[in-house]
Amino acid sequence: MKLLRRLILRPLRRDLARTLLTVLAVALGVAVVVAIDLAGDAATGSFRSSMETLSGKTDLEILANGGIDEKWIGVLDSLPVDAAFAPMMEAQGSLAGVGGVTIYGVDLVAASHGQGSGGPAGAGISRALASRLHLTPPASLAVTLPGGSRQIAIGRVVDAGPAEFLVLDIADAQQFLGRYGKLDRIEVTVAPHEDFARVEKAVHAALPSGYLVEKPGVRNEENQRMVRAFRWNLRVLGYISLVVGAFLIYNTISVSVVRRRAEIGTLRAVGASRGTVFGLFLTEALLLGAIGSLMGVALGRLLASGIVGLIAQTVNALYTSSRPSPVELTAAEAWTGFFTGVLVAFISALKPAREAMQVAPTEAMSRGAHEHRALLRWRHSLLWAALFALAAGAMSLAPAWHGYPVCGYLAALLAIAAAAFASPAVVLAVNRATRGLTRRSAESLLAGRSLTASLSRTSVVVAALATAIAMMASVGIMVSSFRETVALWLDVQLRADLYVRTAMPSGAGAYPPMDARVPVLLAAIPGVAAVDDFRATEFHYRGERATLGAGNLDIVRRYGRLRFLGGENRDAILRSLPGRDRAVVSEPFALRYRIHVGDRLTVPIGSRTVVLTVAGIYYDYSSSQGYVIVDRSTILKYLPGLVPTNAAVYLNPGADAEQVRREIQLRTAGYGIAIARNSDLRRTSIEIFDRTFAITWALEAVAILVAMLGAANSLLALVLDRRRELGLLRFLGASARQVRGMILTEAVFLGLLAAILGVALGLALSLLLIYVVNRQSFGWTIQFHLPVGLLAGAVLLVWVVTVLAGIYPARVAARMNPIEVIQEE
Amino acid sequence: MPVSRLELRGVCKTYRNSGQPAEVLHDITLAPSPGAVTALVGRSGCGKTTLLHLAGAMDFPTAGEVRIDGRATGALSDSELTALRRTRIGFVFQFFQLLPTLTALENVELPLLLARAPKSAETARERLAWVGLADKAASLPYQLSGGQMQRVAIARALVHSPDILIADEPTGNLDTASGDQVLALLRDAAVKLGATVLMATHSAEAAAIAALRVHLRDGRIQSIS
Repeated sequence: MKLLRRLILRPLRRDLARTLLTVLAVALGVAVVVAIDLAGDAATGSFRSSMETLSGKTDLEILANGGIDEKWIGVLDSLPVDAAFAPMMEAQGSLAGVGGVTIYGVDLVAASHGQGSGGPAGAGISRALASRLHLTPPASLAVTLPGGSRQIAIGRVVDAGPAEFLVLDIADAQQFLGRYGKLDRIEVTVAPHEDFARVEKAVHAALPSGYLVEKPGVRNEENQRMVRAFRWNLRVLGYISLVVGAFLIYNTISVSVVRRRAEIGTLRAVGASRGTVFGLFLTEALLLGAIGSLMGVALGRLLASGIVGLIAQTVNALYTSSRPSPVELTAAEAWTGFFTGVLVAFISALKPAREAMQVAPTEAMSRGAHEHRALLRWRHSLLWAALFALAAGAMSLAPAWHGYPVCGYLAALLAIAAAAFASPAVVLAVNRATRGLTRRSAESLLAGRSLTASLSRTSVVVAALATAIAMMASVGIMVSSFRETVALWLDVQLRADLYVRTAMPSGAGAYPPMDARVPVLLAAIPGVAAVDDFRATEFHYRGERATLGAGNLDIVRRYGRLRFLGGENRDAILRSLPGRDRAVVSEPFALRYRIHVGDRLTVPIGSRTVVLTVAGIYYDYSSSQGYVIVDRSTILKYLPGLVPTNAAVYLNPGADAEQVRREIQLRTAGYGIAIARNSDLRRTSIEIFDRTFAITWALEAVAILVAMLGAANSLLALVLDRRRELGLLRFLGASARQVRGMILTEAVFLGLLAAILGVALGLALSLLLIYVVNRQSFGWTIQFHLPVGLLAGAVLLVWVVTVLAGIYPARVAARMNPIEVIQEE
Repeated sequence: MPVSRLELRGVCKTYRNSGQPAEVLHDITLAPSPGAVTALVGRSGCGKTTLLHLAGAMDFPTAGEVRIDGRATGALSDSELTALRRTRIGFVFQFFQLLPTLTALENVELPLLLARAPKSAETARERLAWVGLADKAASLPYQLSGGQMQRVAIARALVHSPDILIADEPTGNLDTASGDQVLALLRDAAVKLGATVLMATHSAEAAAIAALRVHLRDGRIQSIS
């Protein structure tokens, strides 16, 4: 303990600024990991319908795309089982001043056991919504529903925690929503003494094959499964900051060892064992890791509240509707964050601690000799770099593991290791190449030499900075390639002049219906050449959710430009669909389920199970869950009552789009629809895309911050280590400004070296992200696009950040008292 | 080479040690002659090094004045002091203080680079030849012997032709033969180059080359011989 205090704690306290920088770097790394987990939980934790709180315990749910015919309630009620079957409706409406609100339809009469009055007078409002609206029943509320605005008489307040919704009697809900005779689901409650399996079997047997009978919570699990790839990728991005932090721990402990070689030698000479020395330096790392991790967990909790909104908007845009729930830090998550940080610190310190252990009792080597050895080892390091690069290449060819791009990320990690090992060679090569230039001034000569003289340390900090640049560059290249691909795809996909849909809040997986009369009205407007009314509904395929869509494929063929994989004959494919059980599927769907052209898919449509033959696979970037598209004639054959969800309007050549838009507005007033021009839709789509990736930029900002701490830490270490040299320079006629300039020049060099290595690594990582990770996680084919401006900006940013990081060490260097430092031994 | 007048008039230096004042130098008045070696002699801790730092304008007296060419160093601004060190003063240290990452030539050239002087490499090469190490120009310090390192340090101290050369125990870390070589160079710097050489030493051999020997004891001048 005394040894620990004297050899480790005292120096840590003496170099307090450096100690704090290291601790802060670990804290930030851990904070990001914790924040992403917590915010991910909060953003996806609210998939459970608020109705579940209202209806209490339900044992089974019956669902069907296109809705369930209400006649099945009678059939189920007549089953010889002791179970209750409750009909349910669920839709999105909107309230002035509130926005989107969920409207439930339940059998209020049955629910109140004959005590309630039912009907509009008995409509309920959740307490949270009532207090937000300052509404006390009885009251009347104007609600916008698909098909127009309605006045709903609110009769009572329902206690349901923070959930905001309206609850209507099922008959009123059907009437208001224009879905006569249809139910969204049936909830089954099995009596306590009844055999659950017997009820499940009886229900299955009684219902048509297309209906889905599942346990409540399955939907929540499905949602969680759906977003797991997204969350997994986000988590991995979060760990990058921790990797940068690991470099810094490694660096700090290495500096500790190098600076105390003489002390270690003396310690060994007076009887300390190798194990003691090893333990001392590991303890130093664990101490830094533990303090940093503790701070990181607390900081992560704070950060989580900031990023939960960013994650939620991505989940809403890409997967399914969710409302962020409060961020909660559980003991398990806190411990996981803490141990991750400590483990990273432990692993990072192993190598330097081993080096410390190997110091001979009589050895009191100078930095020069140690660094000289590092100089001699650079070829060895380069060989390792080549081996790691080869391993990364091999790993990138491996397929996904249970849907996760594990090998892709391992390849990325190996690529980072390759860059780290290549770092000494890059430092030496750049130094050699710039030797002529650096000799022109004392500052650059000394800065360049100092960096190569501290090769092992410089290499680590260059690797840390390069990792941060690479992360920024690779994600930048990936996102911009993706954006470019999506923009091109939108050009191809969005060929109609106007798009019409219900003016309801919609997100991925939510398809508010449109009044069936709207497409007919649209077609009759002068200037309109064709109207493609599209119907979308969710369906289950191999236990996962996907979207079944139906459009007028003859119109798509004539006006659209749907692109198929492998240059398949678009015209022939689209001609083959109308009137037949044939479908085209989106690329993510095909990749996810390994589907090829000619395969047969079993898809539940309404009450039937239909076998569809795959006629083609088309490029799509709107959903990673995937689409199965059939002709409208096919879906209407099985679901005659399925109403359109949106419509694409193609105009005659020369028709005035603005005039047609105004005419549509006029003729469809009261149907609650929204009209978007082609350009509006493109802009909105790109905006959604940009929002989706906002979180990745936030993560990068943290990685850059950690790298900046690393640069400051390393430069400070160099300054403290070379204080005698810096003092000497003042004796030799250097001004304080020149000493400051020298340290800043070192920062400029570090930035340059990191930029060279970082851009190279970033390019490699971007290829992995685009062609391996993205494809394996989401099933999208992204065309590579090099955003030169963005890359130059990223490099410049890190460079500026590195130079800024040099300001404090430079000040420390300039303020040193030359007499004091030159006399130090 | 311009002739500089270095004068110390009633110089005192007091440090604060744990809040208590400790006088290191007391009432030192001295005017080393140009073109000659002046030796400061005395035991360790007698104030030799402090006196050198004051004479080299690296530190300032708490009382009295250090004057270079009639101007008190304490009255000079930071940039004037830097200019003074760049043009008028050279330092030689006991432990050589060469930068390990620079070659012998680069070490010698460094003061000229810091002063942004023209033709720095040529001048440095000449000075390195003057100390007899032209063939070691490309060597790194760790490839040189102690004596060679100190000769490089002398070349560096003289590269900008200073008129004051401050040497702190220049032979303290050398064997006799190397020490003799170094002392010869210091004498040459005074005699041939006309510099005012102020050297701290506790070696009798080193003191022997001096024209003037100032004996210090407990921060005071005990005698001058």
